[in-house]
Amino acid sequence: MDFEYMKSLIPILGMGAVTTVELTLLSIIFGTFIGLLLALMKISSNVMLSRAAGFYIYVMRGTPLLLQLFAIYYGGPSIGVNLPPFVAAVLGMSANSAAYVAEIIRAGIQSIDKGQMEAAKALGMTYGQAMRRIILPQAYRRLIPPMGNEFIALLKDSSLVSTIAMVELMRVAQQMYANSFKPIEVFTMAGIYYLILTSVFTVIFGKMERRFSLYE
Amino acid sequence: MNEVSTGAAGKTPMIRIKNLYKSFGNLKVLEDINLTVFSGEVVVIIGPSGSGKSTLLRCIKNLERPEKGEIFVEGRPLEAKSRSFKSLQQEIGMVFQHFNLFPHMTALENVMEGPVTVKRMHRKDAEKIAMDLLNKVGLADKKDVYPSRLSGGQKQRVAIARALAMQPKVMLFDEPTSSLDPELVGEVLYVMKNLAKDGMTMMVVTHEMGFAKEVADRVVFMDCGRILEEDVPLNIFKAPKHERTRSFLEKIIA
Repeated sequence: MDFEYMKSLIPILGMGAVTTVELTLLSIIFGTFIGLLLALMKISSNVMLSRAAGFYIYVMRGTPLLLQLFAIYYGGPSIGVNLPPFVAAVLGMSANSAAYVAEIIRAGIQSIDKGQMEAAKALGMTYGQAMRRIILPQAYRRLIPPMGNEFIALLKDSSLVSTIAMVELMRVAQQMYANSFKPIEVFTMAGIYYLILTSVFTVIFGKMERRFSLYE
Repeated sequence: MNEVSTGAAGKTPMIRIKNLYKSFGNLKVLEDINLTVFSGEVVVIIGPSGSGKSTLLRCIKNLERPEKGEIFVEGRPLEAKSRSFKSLQQEIGMVFQHFNLFPHMTALENVMEGPVTVKRMHRKDAEKIAMDLLNKVGLADKKDVYPSRLSGGQKQRVAIARALAMQPKVMLFDEPTSSLDPELVGEVLYVMKNLAKDGMTMMVVTHEMGFAKEVADRVVFMDCGRILEEDVPLNIFKAPKHERTRSFLEKIIA
């Protein structure tokens, strides 16, 4: 192994890693908002909303992320939507993770004892108030572990956007390999970067979990 | 909550139930229920499990939708579509068998939640009301404690304070002591007795016959979704008209 070469890879792969983190953070933020909306639609008593959300989740979970990214990046222009790689990547990853997040949030909401909604209603709260004040704050805490998993899965899946001309950690690694023909060195270093990133997020989510379990 | 009353039943109807029906699938849970509860009156509903006692309370609180029939609160019809529905519902407080306290809020926050969120009251004012009520149920020192650190009896007393914070005119109690350890029942019943003394209109589903004898103005016996008889406690316990009431009381008191 060429350790000198590996050391020289640290800054350039680091730049790719920054892009990977940006992509993942943006996607998880958008994905969580859309996912919350989908979850509330899915559990709503309005059949149209519930079915629409159910169908969306069914399609997005039932097809590969890679296909979804291709559809957006390569399919977009044929209907007049030209998106830069970064936007296409965030859009694809958000749309995909929203489906998974929706199911996580739905399960979290439905795991809260039915008596909580009844007590909220008995006080005169509307459905929205009960959700905001009583149900969701309790669900948050239960959502942290599965959301942590989803976040880490998304971080790793972000490597797929290297196929739509997005220069992130994986793409940089491929480029460096093509330059140097030193696969062991390049992919080991890239792997270490991914491990560091996932470790950091594991620690952060672990801390959050402990903080939010104060009252139990 | 602090209505002026002698403690004896006034003669204004607070809740009137007319020809109420409810079924779950094929199971008829309530059949032709007619009942009037007067202002300041304490009505205790007894009967075997599955007789529809809880469902009756839940219909009044709109946690179940009645199939047929009408419910009036102070003479005004309780209809989900009507404009006065929300304000009428706020006049009804409910206490549950399993307390259903909000676990992510302290005792004080639990009691404040209704006034703050539903009545949009200032936190300061709500806190004052909540502290008074916690005092009243003897839990002022537990104000900053989360429900997981409270005993069952303490939880139920906080739950009563939480319902009272909305200043209801009627309180519904759905088996408030059924999930408590025996030695904790007394403290909850004590709070309820004081509430009755203050003149609160109460409907209580319970198996505590001592409470029924001592506090109730009227006892209603339900079986299979029907009201079989209603009378003052003395008559129900000493001379029930129905054989079914007699056998139920024998079993429960023995």
